[in-house]
Amino acid sequence: MSIKTKCLSRRTKVLSWTPENLLRNGLIAGRRADRYPHCYSIDVGAGGPAIIRDGTRLPLKREAGWYKDAIIYQIHVRTFFDSNSDGIGDFHGLAQKLDYVQELGVNAIWLMPFFSSPLRDDGYDISDYKSVHPSYGTLEDFKTFLSSAHDRGIRVIIEMVANHTSDQHPWFLESRSSQDNPKRDWYVWSDTDTTYRGTRIIFLDTEMSNWAWDPISKSYYWHRFFSHQPDLNYDNPAVCEEMWNVMKFWLELGVDGFRLDAVPYLIEREGTSCENLPETHEVIRELRKKVDDQFPGAILLAEANQWPADLRPYFGNGDEFHMAFHFPLMPRMFMGLRLEDRKPITEILQQTPEIPATCQWCLFLRNHDELTLEMVTDIERDYMYDIYASDKTMRLNLGIRRRLAPLLDNDRRRIELMNGMLMSLPGTPIIYYGDEIGMGDNIYLGDRNGVRTPMQWSGGWNGGFSTADPESLYSPPILNPVYGYQAVNVLSQKRTEHSLLSWMKHIMRIRRSSPVFGAGSIEFLYPANHRVLAYVRQLGKETVLVVNNLSSAAQAVELDLRRYKGNILIEMFGRNIFPRIGDVPYLLTMGPYQFYWFRLRRI
Amino acid sequence: MAEETVLTDDFLRQLINVGEVDILVGLPTHNNARTIEPVIRAIQAGILKCFPRERVVIINADGGSQDGTPELVIRASIDDVWNVSKVYALRTLHSISTRYARNPEPGTALRTILAAADLLRAKACVVVSPDSTTIEPDWLQRLVRPVYNDNFDLVAPIYRRQKFEGVLMRNLLYPMTRAIYGYRVREPYASEFAISGRLATDFLTKETWNAEWGRIGAEICLTITAITGKYRVCQSFLGTKAQPARSASDLVAAMRRTVGALFLSLDSNFPLWSAIADSQPVPTLGAQSEVMLEPVRVNRKRLREMFATGVAQLEPVLRSILSASTLSELQRIAALEVNEFNYPADVWAKTVFEFAASYHKCVISRDHIVQALVPLYRGRTLSFLLENRDGSGQDMEKSVESLCGEFERLKPYLLEVWADRK
Repeated sequence: MSIKTKCLSRRTKVLSWTPENLLRNGLIAGRRADRYPHCYSIDVGAGGPAIIRDGTRLPLKREAGWYKDAIIYQIHVRTFFDSNSDGIGDFHGLAQKLDYVQELGVNAIWLMPFFSSPLRDDGYDISDYKSVHPSYGTLEDFKTFLSSAHDRGIRVIIEMVANHTSDQHPWFLESRSSQDNPKRDWYVWSDTDTTYRGTRIIFLDTEMSNWAWDPISKSYYWHRFFSHQPDLNYDNPAVCEEMWNVMKFWLELGVDGFRLDAVPYLIEREGTSCENLPETHEVIRELRKKVDDQFPGAILLAEANQWPADLRPYFGNGDEFHMAFHFPLMPRMFMGLRLEDRKPITEILQQTPEIPATCQWCLFLRNHDELTLEMVTDIERDYMYDIYASDKTMRLNLGIRRRLAPLLDNDRRRIELMNGMLMSLPGTPIIYYGDEIGMGDNIYLGDRNGVRTPMQWSGGWNGGFSTADPESLYSPPILNPVYGYQAVNVLSQKRTEHSLLSWMKHIMRIRRSSPVFGAGSIEFLYPANHRVLAYVRQLGKETVLVVNNLSSAAQAVELDLRRYKGNILIEMFGRNIFPRIGDVPYLLTMGPYQFYWFRLRRI
Repeated sequence: MAEETVLTDDFLRQLINVGEVDILVGLPTHNNARTIEPVIRAIQAGILKCFPRERVVIINADGGSQDGTPELVIRASIDDVWNVSKVYALRTLHSISTRYARNPEPGTALRTILAAADLLRAKACVVVSPDSTTIEPDWLQRLVRPVYNDNFDLVAPIYRRQKFEGVLMRNLLYPMTRAIYGYRVREPYASEFAISGRLATDFLTKETWNAEWGRIGAEICLTITAITGKYRVCQSFLGTKAQPARSASDLVAAMRRTVGALFLSLDSNFPLWSAIADSQPVPTLGAQSEVMLEPVRVNRKRLREMFATGVAQLEPVLRSILSASTLSELQRIAALEVNEFNYPADVWAKTVFEFAASYHKCVISRDHIVQALVPLYRGRTLSFLLENRDGSGQDMEKSVESLCGEFERLKPYLLEVWADRK
């Protein structure tokens, strides 16, 4: 059945909709669309995207807590699909691949920086916050992509590099032009490079100091990252106001939230580490209030590579960030896997404080950066290096610049187990593009570019990423016989029921089948067999038991499930029934790296 | 490999939870609560310092302690549940305990530990005495590394001893083992040692476990098995070994466990040892430490009296064990006053060999034979003390080396009496 649409306003995009499409995209939750043969359209105007029914704006988007049930797919426009054969991915290309993203089963996209930039740090050096880098298309292309994503029920979170700009940003060019320029105070300047001495240097491999000399204005400017990325001065209200204007600009276009980069470093104070300062939280609370007041349902996601206890304040009383990455958990998942010991994982989660009910952790296995080892002990870091980066080329700063599949020796069982934990531990999972098909990396490319190679769509020309000459691609695709696009690509995996891609779709489908994974509580069971990580997720009457064997060998494990006596276990992947829980410890035998998700049912 | 009787169901359940390990630390105990805490602390520290990445388990084989010893061992576990001590560790450290079925017997305890090592596929198994209160964390490394990293199968310890400690070792066990089996292992009967997984597995299959010496002298059997099985043997310098206070009755028990087991081993290994003519050094690792020269109070007069009384009162027994010439020589020595007392090395070596041969022939009860050697050993002890009273550590080492030389020189005599004696 087809439904007519009509244009309601200049900012209303006219679309053809079918009830099936609406249902599939969750736009009419719990209703039969064929009973609603009305006229629909999509409004991407102020206040965020919404579906319009018979002229009425339906609150289909941004229901409270949508991010808790989300599965986020992290994409860099440049790497995904090149639609104009210039060797660089673009928004038009990304829009063309949204069907793939939708089929994958994710319901949110996190876009890496796509703004105008000299690209000296892959877009994290922004020179204009309100424009799209010409290589990726135009603002109109972005809007088209955005509405296409929303059409499919996919939210879009964009990057907001708030801590610093490029040194080519007009603000900085003005600021450095003279000491009495009105924008002088938009950045952090000093006559000496000895201020804030207690502050660590993050990019140890490239930077000797957090201060850089500016020969134009003959003074030092503060930068926590590369010296071409001067830090903005958030003590200046004008900076705060302007950054809000930037955010408002994108929110009005309809984006669903921001991933705020390098959050802990917004404010500097002498005698401190210049991280996590109370004044930084004030800035964030102000932003959050404006978001809630003007764009309810839009979210803020914190990038703050900190210990859990230091991260907790970024949630405030539910009035700062909606979500924050759980950085320390990620390396410990890798550690637990190789140690065949749950201890690193349970210990860091034991140290993870409670967060407000409206908040959520973001979990990830890999992303566009190195596998950061800042939040581990020296012993743990040495272990991780020896195990996962024996070749020093793989190391960068305090981390390992590798993708998931190579880190796990391309072992399908380990890849599945890690994804199983990612999907079942408390938090919103993020999948880095390409990891769903087991893409490899190229450690011989500099910086973190080795994990930012073109998406591998097929075994054909440039892996289906671009029809440009291979030499003109922004980055060489992976070519080696194991991970190269001829061996690892979407097309071939879509044709195989047992491919990693098919399996990833399956596990995401199962995760989405129960809200317990996104919003449920967690209680660890501590079976005496330390190779087995077991926990119970619970939400209302729904209870799911998760059991992970971290060992490369088969294991027997006894679980104390007496409190669930009388329940039967239903294995969620195969829907097979397991014996009823009784008074004695529940014995499970598990194959190497096997994991179970059981729904508990009292029948 | 392991018989079911060694492993209770509960212990087996614990082993399942532990899983495969790289290193197993065995702690045989029986009412050791008074001394075990520093030992446990040192083991735990040694693991965390030297083997933080390895999969290690501490296994306590307890002979039925009533003083809470197993509980103290279990407390050393480091995991995500019970780590109340907040000790940092990269991975879980299980510390488990089992009470073996029989009465306290060192052999049964060792067998339990080795069975666990076999089941858990431990690459290295180290056994530590629960009364080694002077143990340092580095002991673990010194014992385990040669097995774990350098493919040795048995690492015997060398302790830093007071010069008059370890007299039985210096005057009988070392010289005789060396002469018999051709390997210069200074502590063939050690309370601390490390073995490889393959030696543990092999030793478990030996018939010795069903014999008495398997139960009471398993440690020296292990050393002999390593030597006779051509396993790679080495020694490692540890440190000062605390010497627990012992009574006279302890000596008899110790002689049974050690000398008795050594004598017994000669029966089954005759074809092997009878063909060995000399001894070879064993690789020795670590920094050698000086012998301690602190004076030790010894009641020489009492030692002489015990010797003389033994020779006199046990004359009928000794007559059935010793040759006439040796007995006559002992009677001559027994008449000497303390200040002129001397039990020469050659006479002592002959005495021991004749006892070994008599043990082989079972001329009387074997246990009586071992007991009859006790007063004679006291005489040899007195002589050793007198010889080395004013000597340096080096002098004493020369004396021990000289005694070993006598045992090796007189080995043909052992073969002779072994064959001839009725």
